[in-house]
Amino acid sequence: MNRINQDLIEQMADELTPVRSMKLRDGLALVALALLATVLLVALFEGLWSGILTGEASAFFMVTNGLLLVLGLASASSVLTMASPRVGGRHDGPKWAAAMVAVLPLAALLMLAARGGLAEILADPHGIACFTIALGASSLTAIALLFWLRRGAPVSLNSAGLHLGIAAGAFGSVAAGLACPIDTMAHLAIYHVAPVAAAGLIGRLLVPRLLRW
Amino acid sequence: MIADETTMARLMVLSQQGDKNAYTVLLSEASNWLQRYFRRKVPLAQVDDLVQEVLLAVHKKRATFDPNRPFLPWLAAIARYRWVDHLRKVYRNQEDELGDNDAYEESDENAVLARISLDRLLTRLSRKQAQVIELVKIEGHSIRDAARQSGQTEASVKVNIHRGLKKLSALIEKAD
Repeated sequence: MNRINQDLIEQMADELTPVRSMKLRDGLALVALALLATVLLVALFEGLWSGILTGEASAFFMVTNGLLLVLGLASASSVLTMASPRVGGRHDGPKWAAAMVAVLPLAALLMLAARGGLAEILADPHGIACFTIALGASSLTAIALLFWLRRGAPVSLNSAGLHLGIAAGAFGSVAAGLACPIDTMAHLAIYHVAPVAAAGLIGRLLVPRLLRW
Repeated sequence: MIADETTMARLMVLSQQGDKNAYTVLLSEASNWLQRYFRRKVPLAQVDDLVQEVLLAVHKKRATFDPNRPFLPWLAAIARYRWVDHLRKVYRNQEDELGDNDAYEESDENAVLARISLDRLLTRLSRKQAQVIELVKIEGHSIRDAARQSGQTEASVKVNIHRGLKKLSALIEKAD
């Protein structure tokens, strides 16, 4: 080993202070807090839909939000894990979860097309509002995950950005969905899933440059 | 001494707790490991700079090591990240070309090193991409030389380097 490396090592050892290793459970707690805060904010500003508890909500409502929640969990876990460098990490879970969620809009489009009802999507008066609220509701989770990644040392910046966006978008959509009483297939499959794709795109494009270290 | 995975992981745990002696030993061993790791993957004159960059990253990001996971894949992931970053930044420098004297001695590199080596990353690229990255970014040849040696046009060399580096970035973590 050369002199420069030896000097550097001595200097770093001199500056050494104890650190607490980043734990996955801390990251999960952070995300859970962000999600809880998001739901509380949605409840405060939009009010939660009582139909969820009274059994009024359709099965499609439950399925859509359930799948979005699973997608959010898979993507958030992947992001939290990415903060710690490793070799051989494939992060395939979010891809499969995203593929499952993608079935919803595809099925809706097929069914609506088959019965000539595609115009129903564009005619939805609440669609854009739901899309916007869901995207806004993804902010807190996005900030929490970004904070975690910046503390860490992600080595797959593009994947980290994409998964961060998808996780935040999925959780945002679930939180916004709790305030939305429209439980038709066309509305849920398009306007509650589109924010996930949009957030994923935003994450993929913007986040990597914030993560360089 | 060549420290093994178990020893280095134990030293890292002690380092996270603030043990300066353990940290000094760990960084010295990591430095030796990195010297071997980067051998022939960057011009010899740049190896020390790259090793120092990785050591600084290890110091800054030491909290990201999970004591329940092995140490060397953690170190290798940081080394890969810094290596790809380095390849992006590096410009041709004739003095840094690898010469015959730089040939390294085959040694008993352990299985972990073989598994997480940089060669495995390069094998995931197309043959043309790997060839021009090795020629231009690692051996320091000009685009024109690389085009002549590889039989590709200069434009293809540039495109293949660009696409190859992009793919390497995506493979840092994913590739075994």
